[in-house]
Amino acid sequence: MNHEKKTPLIRLAKRDGMEGWKVWCIRAGSILFALLLGALVMALAGANPVTAYGTMISGALGKKSAIRQTVKIAVPLLGCALAITPCFKMRFWNIGAEGQITAGAIAASYFALFWASRLPSPVLLVVMGIAGALAGGLWALIPAFFKARWNTNETLFTLMMNYIVIGVVRWLQGGPWEGRKGSQIIPQFDEAACLPRVLGVHCGWIIVLVLVVFMHVYMNHTKHGYEIAVIGDSINTARYAGMNVGRVMMRTMFLSGAISGLVGFIVASGANNTLYDGVAGGVGFTSITVAWLSQLNAFAMVGISGLLAVLSKGAETLQTRMAVPTSISDIITGILLFCMLGCEFFINYKLIFRGAGRKEARHE
Amino acid sequence: MKKFLALLLSMILALSLAACGGGSDQPPQTTDKPADTQQPADSAPADTAPEGKTVKVGLICIGDENDQGYTYNFIRGKEAATEALAAKGITVDWVVKWNIGEDSGCEDANIELADEGCDLIINNSFGFEPFMLKVAPDYPEIEFIACTNQASWGDSLDNTHNAFANIYEGRYLAGVVAGMKLQQMIDEGEITADQAVIGYVGAFSFAEVISGFTSYFLGARSVCPSVTMKVQFVGSWSDATEEANAASALADMGCVMISQHSDNTTPATTAQTKGVFHTGYNNDMISVAPEASLIGTRINWAPYFEYAIESVANGESFDQDWCHGMDMDAVVMTDLNEAIAAPGTAEKLTEVEAKIRSGELQVFDTSTFTIEGKVLESAFALDTDGDFAPDSEEAVFDGAFHESYFQSAPYFALRIDGIDWINEAF
Repeated sequence: MNHEKKTPLIRLAKRDGMEGWKVWCIRAGSILFALLLGALVMALAGANPVTAYGTMISGALGKKSAIRQTVKIAVPLLGCALAITPCFKMRFWNIGAEGQITAGAIAASYFALFWASRLPSPVLLVVMGIAGALAGGLWALIPAFFKARWNTNETLFTLMMNYIVIGVVRWLQGGPWEGRKGSQIIPQFDEAACLPRVLGVHCGWIIVLVLVVFMHVYMNHTKHGYEIAVIGDSINTARYAGMNVGRVMMRTMFLSGAISGLVGFIVASGANNTLYDGVAGGVGFTSITVAWLSQLNAFAMVGISGLLAVLSKGAETLQTRMAVPTSISDIITGILLFCMLGCEFFINYKLIFRGAGRKEARHE
Repeated sequence: MKKFLALLLSMILALSLAACGGGSDQPPQTTDKPADTQQPADSAPADTAPEGKTVKVGLICIGDENDQGYTYNFIRGKEAATEALAAKGITVDWVVKWNIGEDSGCEDANIELADEGCDLIINNSFGFEPFMLKVAPDYPEIEFIACTNQASWGDSLDNTHNAFANIYEGRYLAGVVAGMKLQQMIDEGEITADQAVIGYVGAFSFAEVISGFTSYFLGARSVCPSVTMKVQFVGSWSDATEEANAASALADMGCVMISQHSDNTTPATTAQTKGVFHTGYNNDMISVAPEASLIGTRINWAPYFEYAIESVANGESFDQDWCHGMDMDAVVMTDLNEAIAAPGTAEKLTEVEAKIRSGELQVFDTSTFTIEGKVLESAFALDTDGDFAPDSEEAVFDGAFHESYFQSAPYFALRIDGIDWINEAF
């Protein structure tokens, strides 16, 4: 009796081995729940939720030109989610993808601006890509080195690195690379430095799809991938097994930064055809959600980044057609992400209400 | 297990109920809208007002109307033009995109508006133009406008346009108001003649800003000969805190009059706190700083919007590079703060305005300023080779530098004597 009184109303217990179909039911349920909450928000904003959702889908996928724009939004999200996957698998919290993208974009832009007349287009693009990857990789290597050497906090370190490199772009925009005096705008790249289009979208989408396969193989079928997984589970185990943890960390961060840098090149050369301080545009952060929702599965990321791109493009159309403020669609996206991430909690834990234990015992 | 299923079922039930409920409360209104506005204006049925033309116009904004500055000023223009066009029997169906960045998102916004069936698409920020130019060739039947930028006269496209206003005229008049106040302070012994210093909060050392503060200074000096000016660049078009800091620093350096080319009202409020005077831009700032703000000037976009939209409605072509000033009310002054302005200011304003309108007074009259001690004899207006340095079209003739004459976007970027640039980093 006494014991019963002390029990809190709700208790949590770790759940293991939930059946697969149940897990997916919970996930589907969470999406439906999020859409329902979103509908409520839309109704409050004065839009008919059914029409609004219809508008979002038709706006994102209803036309060829719409699909192209949606793909364009998904490309950096997917690329960057792939980039941070090995880090997160290793439990190295790299939230500096934003800066690594920007660093890659700077290096690629250097060649786009000053080498366009000296190199044939395909060579130039390859050079830009390599430069972007190297710059992103080196930028990521700095916090990894400090972590490996002095065990610094990588979360803060990578985050701070973002602001530095974005500051560098601002300086370039207003200083040495500025076009018209005082405009703060770097001129558009020469045609030769722009990624060619395939099916109406810059060919960055092909690059990231290749990266999907690469990342899947790298993480699941190579020694490197295995080392990353072991370190992620337990650093001590990794040490005991004779792995050089610091080395693996630096190698993995370099790879992660290099892919981010490549994304930076794709965005600058393919989408914007110029460099500016918002080149990463929050992709480095949003892609963390993509990676997490996909549970670090490279193929799932294709779907999740596509979903986010549909939401984002749909939100724009929603604003265009129904005059719903884009902030409303941001709220809906936020609700959706929150519910999707939140439902993992219910998959991993169960809630036990006071007194439920006895009843259940009676049932069984 | 049973409980789980029950939960799942009830959830599905709730969802389906909600979905049905949502569907029935009003018919879908917007999905078929683009189709019916897309038909050519001349085939419109005659059952609506006088001529019954409808034009679908897209407007892409860098901010939203809450900025009380740059974008807000465009929205005012949009509303006034809509009203004026309604009187002519032209209905404008506006589609506005807010908070668009100067990146490929702007390209997407242009594509989206084009796909929605807009007949005319207006881009409101300088940095939008390169992205607009990527979309314009794919939609030759749609007219594209890039406000404040300058590519149209040189690109090979027929459907791109630029527009700006001779805001330097309004700046000059605001300068006259400021100068009269300074002269009054000198005459009343509040300050000595060489203490008549203006502090100017500028965004960047960009031609539009330089042209603006130079005309303002010339206006002030036309009525207060001893005036000098310090310009502080803040490195942002809109940063309320930095603008306030700049205004505060200028006041501390001895400036007794503050003006600005930036989006916020903080220079006005700072001026009031520091006990100095102020003239504004984009908006009437008297309400936020009644003891400091003397007057403001702003671009009035309504005449241009009206002109462009009416041309599209009538299927006529319109200027690819449009720039007017007080002659078409494209530049207007906000109310004069009579309570604190020097006596006789209103009369003086009327007089100078009439002279500007008649062309008797040239703002950049080369006899009124010097550059490194010399009279300006030659300056180019346009950049034709793309290196961002003007190389053709002589702007100095008939005794004046002709601003916004060869292209709408300002190109006066010279540094005249009497103006001290404090922070050139930007």
